[in-house]
Amino acid sequence: MHVRTRTWLSVVVLASLLFIAASRLAIFDPLENAVLSVAAPIESALRGASRPVADFVNNLTDINRLSDENQSLREENERLTAEAARLRETERELQQLEQLLNLRGGRPEDRFVAAHVFAREPNNQQDMIAIDRGRADGLEEDMIVLTQQGSLVGTVSRVLDDVAWVTLITDSSSAVSAAIQASRVQGVVVGSTDGTLTMEFVEETADVKEGDLVLTSGIGGSYPPGELIGQVVEVDRAAQELFQAVHVQPLADLSRLETVLVLTSFLPLAAGQP
Amino acid sequence: MSLAIGLIAIVVAVIAQVSILPFFSIFGVQPNLVIVLLVAWMAVRGQREVLLLVPAAGLVQGLLDSQPLGLAMLALAPIILMTEVREQRWVESDLVPALVLAALATLVYEATILLTLAVTGEHLDWLASVLDVLVPAAIANALLLLPVYGLIRLASQDLRQREAL
Repeated sequence: MHVRTRTWLSVVVLASLLFIAASRLAIFDPLENAVLSVAAPIESALRGASRPVADFVNNLTDINRLSDENQSLREENERLTAEAARLRETERELQQLEQLLNLRGGRPEDRFVAAHVFAREPNNQQDMIAIDRGRADGLEEDMIVLTQQGSLVGTVSRVLDDVAWVTLITDSSSAVSAAIQASRVQGVVVGSTDGTLTMEFVEETADVKEGDLVLTSGIGGSYPPGELIGQVVEVDRAAQELFQAVHVQPLADLSRLETVLVLTSFLPLAAGQP
Repeated sequence: MSLAIGLIAIVVAVIAQVSILPFFSIFGVQPNLVIVLLVAWMAVRGQREVLLLVPAAGLVQGLLDSQPLGLAMLALAPIILMTEVREQRWVESDLVPALVLAALATLVYEATILLTLAVTGEHLDWLASVLDVLVPAAIANALLLLPVYGLIRLASQDLRQREAL
């Protein structure tokens, strides 16, 4: 290796480490805030412009999957039409959903700040989005973030003056105390590297069915109870396992969020606080 | 002149990376245009310009992502080392080593982020990270390199012709 390359590599690595150390001390926060604030409208415009193109491309590449999905939906439709019992179950689930949506109206004390999503974390290890509201708008770390329809998106993980980063519930570091709405069975909904949600620590004998709604349980104080997380799409019961793996799908498409609501009236309990 | 174009391309790539590319996934992962651009630039334009473009890309990305400033620069730094491989010219083609280096640079970049998360105390599923993220991302970036390499090669030929005139 040339001396020039070796020297330059050392300089860059050393500078990186110095930057990281300074960044940990929040020295660059004003600079990052300024750059992100300037970039936010540009990035928002690019996101808006590229969304239809992305939809078109994704539909083209997904044509086989869409065809299969269409076929299975037809079969599902026929089955639903033929089975009156199944229809009643669907009706009951709709009523549950209606009750849940009414819940938002039943908590008038909740205060929200609406924010636009303008960027996404570029590395594949973390599921995070950037929003155009920050400390100046009353945001604090660990505040929870919801979709406009009221389902859980994630928590505020980093706040600058005018922008903030939100860690999504699908991030592999996310863990939310949860309960199945119908049976009140409790567990923890965790994210993963592939962006899927699994409800863990659900006892093997617990009553969980596909289509059940999953809500925050409020246990631990990190999230208020009753916020909608998603719907059970698959239940894995292995014979010798203590727990069943419950696969949960968020109701909102978290990869295409445009506007979110930050719940500013709820602050999680600090560790050790009763 | 070409260095200035490179710097502009880096800024555009970073902005596209955080705003447009999240809508497009290959094998379930988001390709990294910044890594691909740096490797393609190295393959077409040589070592000298990339030595400056790597820290510049790290800085710009650090200002626009959620990570501490400097982490992206650290994760991209091994590309400086890889410029030596390109200079050795073990094979006739520029493209074949570039494809390998794009995959390698991706593995090192994602592994650096992964290690940083581990150091900061995050619980990680290493096997899942390797299988679901590192390997698919390496393949996705190698695929993305093909059009980016082609574009830079065309633009570079045009630039050389203008400079010759």
